[in-house]
Amino acid sequence: MEIRIRNLSKDYFSEGRKIAALDQVDLNIPANRIFTLLGPSGCGKTTLLRCIVGLETPDKGEIAIGEEIVFSREKNIYVPPEKRGLGMVFQTYAIWPHMNVLDNVAYPLQARKLPKEEIVDKVAKALRFVQLEGFEKRSATKLSGGQQQRVALARALVAEPKVILFDEPLSNLDAKLREETRKELRSFLSRLSITAVYVTHDQIEALSLSDTVAVMKNGRIVEMGTPWDIYFNSDQRFVADFIGRANIIEGKVKSAGEGFTIIDSAIGPIACQGKNEALPGRAVSVCIRPEFIKLLAGGQGKGQNIFWGHVESLLFVGNIYEGEIRIKNTSLSFQLEPTTKVKEGDEINLYFDPAHCSILFN
Amino acid sequence: MQKTNRALTPSLIVIVGILTICPVIMLFLGSFTEGLSAFGSFTLEKYVKSYSDPALGSIVANTLIFTTGSALLATILALFLAYLNTRTNIPFKGLFGLLSIVPMMIPHVLFAVSWALLLNPSNGMINLFFKQFLGLNETPFNIYTLQGMILVEALMDLPMAYLIIAPAMSAFDVSLEESSRVCGASNLRTAFRVTLPILRPAILAAITLAVVRSLASFAVPSVIGMPGRKYVLATHIYRVIATGFAPDYGMAAAVGMSVLAASITLIFLYRYLTSEGEKYVTISSRGYRPTVIDLKKAKYPLFGIVAIISFVLIVLPLVVLFYTSVVPYSMVPSAKAFSLMSWKHWIAVIKDPVSMLSLKNSLFLGVVGATLGILLSIFIAYVVVKIRTTASGILESLSFLSFSFPGIVIGIGFMWFFVYTPLYATIWALLIGYIATYLPYGVRPLSSAFVQIHSHLEESSRVCGGGAFYTMRRVVIPLLIPGIVSGWILMSTMFVRELSLSVVLSRPGTEVLAVQILRFAEDGLWGRLSALGIMMIFMSTILVVIAFFVGAKLTKVNKDR
Repeated sequence: MEIRIRNLSKDYFSEGRKIAALDQVDLNIPANRIFTLLGPSGCGKTTLLRCIVGLETPDKGEIAIGEEIVFSREKNIYVPPEKRGLGMVFQTYAIWPHMNVLDNVAYPLQARKLPKEEIVDKVAKALRFVQLEGFEKRSATKLSGGQQQRVALARALVAEPKVILFDEPLSNLDAKLREETRKELRSFLSRLSITAVYVTHDQIEALSLSDTVAVMKNGRIVEMGTPWDIYFNSDQRFVADFIGRANIIEGKVKSAGEGFTIIDSAIGPIACQGKNEALPGRAVSVCIRPEFIKLLAGGQGKGQNIFWGHVESLLFVGNIYEGEIRIKNTSLSFQLEPTTKVKEGDEINLYFDPAHCSILFN
Repeated sequence: MQKTNRALTPSLIVIVGILTICPVIMLFLGSFTEGLSAFGSFTLEKYVKSYSDPALGSIVANTLIFTTGSALLATILALFLAYLNTRTNIPFKGLFGLLSIVPMMIPHVLFAVSWALLLNPSNGMINLFFKQFLGLNETPFNIYTLQGMILVEALMDLPMAYLIIAPAMSAFDVSLEESSRVCGASNLRTAFRVTLPILRPAILAAITLAVVRSLASFAVPSVIGMPGRKYVLATHIYRVIATGFAPDYGMAAAVGMSVLAASITLIFLYRYLTSEGEKYVTISSRGYRPTVIDLKKAKYPLFGIVAIISFVLIVLPLVVLFYTSVVPYSMVPSAKAFSLMSWKHWIAVIKDPVSMLSLKNSLFLGVVGATLGILLSIFIAYVVVKIRTTASGILESLSFLSFSFPGIVIGIGFMWFFVYTPLYATIWALLIGYIATYLPYGVRPLSSAFVQIHSHLEESSRVCGGGAFYTMRRVVIPLLIPGIVSGWILMSTMFVRELSLSVVLSRPGTEVLAVQILRFAEDGLWGRLSALGIMMIFMSTILVVIAFFVGAKLTKVNKDR
């Protein structure tokens, strides 16, 4: 079911100052897709999620889930969370410690006063779906983190909600388990055809799980698109900087036209992927990700996007070397194959792939 | 939800304000008044009279010696026990847990009485024993002295001091000690140069709280101090209102004002120390265990000392009381004593209408009072923990205030308050006074219960389709039950044994157990006293057991459903 959000604002007060948690947010969350709100802490993503669920009331605006308006300041509508028919997985999982797995999962059905036989059927189905058959009588809080997470998911799904919402559900798991659970979640969600709204500050989660990602900053949505678009084609310095590792170099457009656009920068001219707004004379930044900086064999070469630099540091992290290189007075991060013979202090030749040098507007 | 919350906080502030501020104001106004019947006419006479009393000097001196002496002794004993338990390989560590909980079950007045039975100069059992078997002319010990008072009071405050010091000692960063050892210091030197200074806030907090407790203590000063004419402020106030022809409530209030002021100051000091303590005591999440010091040869002798302390705190009072209740008069256990044993005193108590009335009244106060008190505590803890506004901060301070109230002083404040209401001389006056004075004992366990209920647990119930009421019934209340049970047990035991407030507020018809026991002690009816005392402990234990089982059953039902 589609979620439509219009002009949503919410302020809160901290130490006497007014801070906009949500600043006139307009958003359409497409039906039956996995939609992620991504941003640093304090950007308003969790507030937005809690407004959708009904745990918080916005100051202004309107929220509609499907055809039903669940909140509207102008029309004075507020549907309480228990009447919105949603499912949610909390950051802490919010598993009730005084109930076993069965009661935790059956709770939404019991609260809706379904007949007993139907509850038994649906709970069994939900537990089978999350692969927790046979755990019914176990005390829910004695399960491992990953299993608790699945109990929370089963509980959110059991009443067949219109929308399921996730509030940083993986942040309490350790790194290895987080990776596994992420894959699991992706396969669970792609088997269901359900609208899912997912909140995270972790860019890998956002990119790997979602159909659509919306990046938030200071209570506003700054960019929205597929994971691929967000990673490679962002126009915005904030987004490029926040997602993945990125080198950002200040500059000015020198020439634009057919082929590549040339940007004048502190390390020299850089040929970049052209953009319509990048008119000559405009101050812009260039984003080049470390994985697109290539090592060229041989001595000091010349040519487009070839730079000569001094290796300042080199860290072996297993699959690659992570390094810092100084070109003129600018320090950039880059990465090397673990088999290269380059050492700290070496002077090396690097090539920036122009197809992956993107222009950012501040 | 939002609307009821808005009305909840102010109405709780009004209720708790009436309970805690009213008696203080009435005490204050009362101290400037001629007498209970002459309210409103301002006079300084009572202050002049009470503070120019030549006897006051020695009373204040006694109070200072008694409170600091017992606080220091209790803290030193607590430090010794806590160190042994947390840092050494002393055997039978389970005993320490028992030692910190069980003495709380024995009412203070009975504990004091049992020591009087053992060590009073005319026929104390230990004294008689030494006199008979060593052929002494005089009895060697006299409990009716300041030293005797200090010893008994210290033993009673020991569990409280232990409960403050032991957690601090087991939580602090052992690497601080280890680095001292690496620097070449011995175990003992490390203990004095590193361990004790780091624990200073906890130690000072224990001493402060023990001083507050002994300042408010009435059982020891009345049972052990008064026979030896060793008066402290609490018994001085009691003498002013309860003996002689005309009780002088104005003068009692005038003296009480300084006791209350001292007590409130000390409690603020205590609060400051405990918040400072968090800065000092480095609680680490790294989860290492403190290195255990091997006591080697000292292991069993030290354990012997612990065993003696436990025996003296837990077993001795009960044995002495039971023995006294079945022998006709004070005598050393012997064949003759056993042949003379009878249930005479028990029957006398059961036939005594006042004793039975006091039993009934205390049972009523223990059950109904604790239930109402916990109900109020639930709302207060909810507002303080979950709503968190400026107003809820005020509520927290208000509900904490009564922690500093010395029972006898605040009782006089309540007296001034109740004479102007129809509640005067009814059981409800006692009930209200109890709840007001012991409110922190209910609010504390419930606050920690509420802290444990993460807001997500409630929110997730709402999202799952449970309304506010359904959420309350199925999520919040079941999770609160352990806190409710322990709060109820605490309040109920406090109420059944309550003495210092009751000696002021209890009137003919509203006698309670502890007051009746004090009357027996004043009349020297030790046998009946002991029989009634055992009944009191029994009743209190039954209440605790019932509460415990009800709690266990309620949580179990919730799990099974």
